[in-house]
Amino acid sequence: MSTVAPVPAGRPAPPAAPGSARSTGSTTAADPTGLPAPGRDMVVDTPGLLNRWQLIGMSVAVVFAVVSALLQVLGWQADGRAADDTEQLIRVQNIQSSLLRADALATNAFLVGGLEDPAQRAEYERTVDDVQRLIADAAQAQPADEKVLAALNVEVGDYTTAVAQARDNNRQLFPVGAEYLSDASTSLRTEATPLLAALVKANTARADDSMAGQHPWWLLLVGAVAVAGLVWINQQLARTFRRRINVGVAVAAGLVAVTTLVAAASAFVNDSSNDQLRRGDLAVATAQAQARTAANDAKASESLRLIRRGSGAAFEEQWKASAATVQRTLQRGTADSWRAYREAHRRIVQADDAGDWEGAVKLATGTADTGSTATFDRFDEESAQLVGASGAVVTAELRSGREVALGLSLLTLLLGAVAAAAVARGIAQRRGEFA
Amino acid sequence: MSRVASTVPPRGVRAVVLAALLGLVAAGCGYSDTPLPEPSAAASSSAAPAATVRCDNATQSYAPDATGGASVRTIKQRKRLIAGVSADSLLLGANDPLDNRIKGFDIDVAQAIAEALGVKLQLRVISAADRIPLLQQGAIDIVARNFTMNCARWQQVAFSAVYYSAAQKVLVRRDDEASFTGASSLRGKKVCAPRGSTSLDNIPRLLPGAEPVAATNHAGCLILFQRGEADAITGDDTVLAGLVAQDRYAVVPEQKALTREPYGIGMNKDDVDLVRFVNAVLERREADGRWQRSYDRWLRPALSGADARPPAPEYGR
Repeated sequence: MSTVAPVPAGRPAPPAAPGSARSTGSTTAADPTGLPAPGRDMVVDTPGLLNRWQLIGMSVAVVFAVVSALLQVLGWQADGRAADDTEQLIRVQNIQSSLLRADALATNAFLVGGLEDPAQRAEYERTVDDVQRLIADAAQAQPADEKVLAALNVEVGDYTTAVAQARDNNRQLFPVGAEYLSDASTSLRTEATPLLAALVKANTARADDSMAGQHPWWLLLVGAVAVAGLVWINQQLARTFRRRINVGVAVAAGLVAVTTLVAAASAFVNDSSNDQLRRGDLAVATAQAQARTAANDAKASESLRLIRRGSGAAFEEQWKASAATVQRTLQRGTADSWRAYREAHRRIVQADDAGDWEGAVKLATGTADTGSTATFDRFDEESAQLVGASGAVVTAELRSGREVALGLSLLTLLLGAVAAAAVARGIAQRRGEFA
Repeated sequence: MSRVASTVPPRGVRAVVLAALLGLVAAGCGYSDTPLPEPSAAASSSAAPAATVRCDNATQSYAPDATGGASVRTIKQRKRLIAGVSADSLLLGANDPLDNRIKGFDIDVAQAIAEALGVKLQLRVISAADRIPLLQQGAIDIVARNFTMNCARWQQVAFSAVYYSAAQKVLVRRDDEASFTGASSLRGKKVCAPRGSTSLDNIPRLLPGAEPVAATNHAGCLILFQRGEADAITGDDTVLAGLVAQDRYAVVPEQKALTREPYGIGMNKDDVDLVRFVNAVLERREADGRWQRSYDRWLRPALSGADARPPAPEYGR
């Protein structure tokens, strides 16, 4: 440790004159002042040793304080990042759900034929607006996502353009409109979905990472090393001065031990509360967001199946795959509305398979309370609410009580300084005795 | 005095502290960029041309017989005739967004067959590439979807007598109309046709030097054309007329037909009784003027008012 070796120049070299005087001749035998009796015929520079131990002891206290405080600051930072990261994760999942929601609305409006329902049209517009706003927010919140979000922005632009072209052609009764729509839906799934999947994956990893940013074991280790260092100094002093305990060093060790225990305990509590959030509200929010995305995908597949009029077998397969995802991921309280929608879908399939396409379309686009659209809208609404509420709990929890962590780390620094002073004082006492 | 001085951490201690601080802070604040997924490989845009099969009776069908057999009975028992049709070929078979009904020249034929059978007509929208597999699987009873009769297809399915004789032509941009002199004008140009269609198969032979581009259907070709990803579209004059009706910048210039495309109603190879039944329906339809009325309604205006007579049926299979 280069830190202990040199006594810095310019520092009032502790009792230089007497030290050097003694260093030549003293400490050969038992000293009447109760000072060391090494019992060996060797020359020991006691003041020099005292200086060194003082340096080591103070360094131990200061380094402990700084490292421990830093670990706590890192934990504090990680919690802040975790809040941002989970917020971003929920945001990108929201983009995903909203985009597929827009597609479900656009395809369903097409199925109605003729003039689309103004309310449905308005909701499509609103959803697309949401998507665009969320993309801008997300790019600002996480610069690491910028490149992928820029690519996503391009895809969303292409999608909305194609839907607009579909609509314009449809209004002129041109069948190419339907082709524009199915083309748009297909590209959305082949081009935009992988981008969204990448965003969700990266942000899940980031949120997991930062939620695991508490370091209780490191805090304990640092504290233990510091205490061991101080105990070692105490032993050296005891051996030299025949006093078992140096009060200053003992006080320092006590401060270090107590600080460590409090900091580690706080980190443990934080860590386990993060774990609870991760397994609790965050899991609920992300799983339900996934369910909402898959459900909207399913609803769009239902419309596309009917738009294909009898050749929608591939879309029915897609519906089944999406429905399985929903079933696997949906959370408390949304199962009933999903079941109701699934039943409505079953009736549509039954009608279509029996050759009653018109009847199936009526079921898929009708406004009956038990119809596919009404039941689906209920599920979508409930999901959006659950995701929003659970996500808000997570970020609020992660952001709350962070001041305590910061305060603790400042306190650690302060107590470290006090410990260093205690070491200095304890050893200075011995030096006084020696002089 | 010395005690006070000693409580200040020595310079070495400060260096360690600073290094630790920098290291820890640096470790704590880096996000690596979210990786951009590789773009999905573009779907292959060309299809292998079908093998040429030669015969001299591609337009020959089975003699008409309205009595019907096993397959006709099956349809009557089901009370539904399942017809594979197009919903995006304006004039032949296209969905009308106003009332969500599929209408057109081909649909009229299917409707006439369903009426003669006394059953409901169930329309199933299929792509050109679906026509043969779905007939072979028995998933549909008939195909009424601008289905060209040729020798290769006769080996896989059966056809009715010819109910319309179309011609394969080329659609180009209005700007290119003046300079269009025929197939040679398309050298090096991208020409679109639907996957699984004879039009696509014919491109290398009839339009040498042109680059074939495939889409799911003719509406998909129109999208590529409107986006500038295709310079021309080839297909039957009937279909191209429907595309021109949807895009005022598309024209079918004066040209010699690339090929003749006789349309027949497609059926399963084994359903000979159904083929005979359909041929009887077609004859009756031509005789009582329904064919002419349907032509006048759907195709005559788009084909510049050209007169057309129902093609003479050929039997003898």
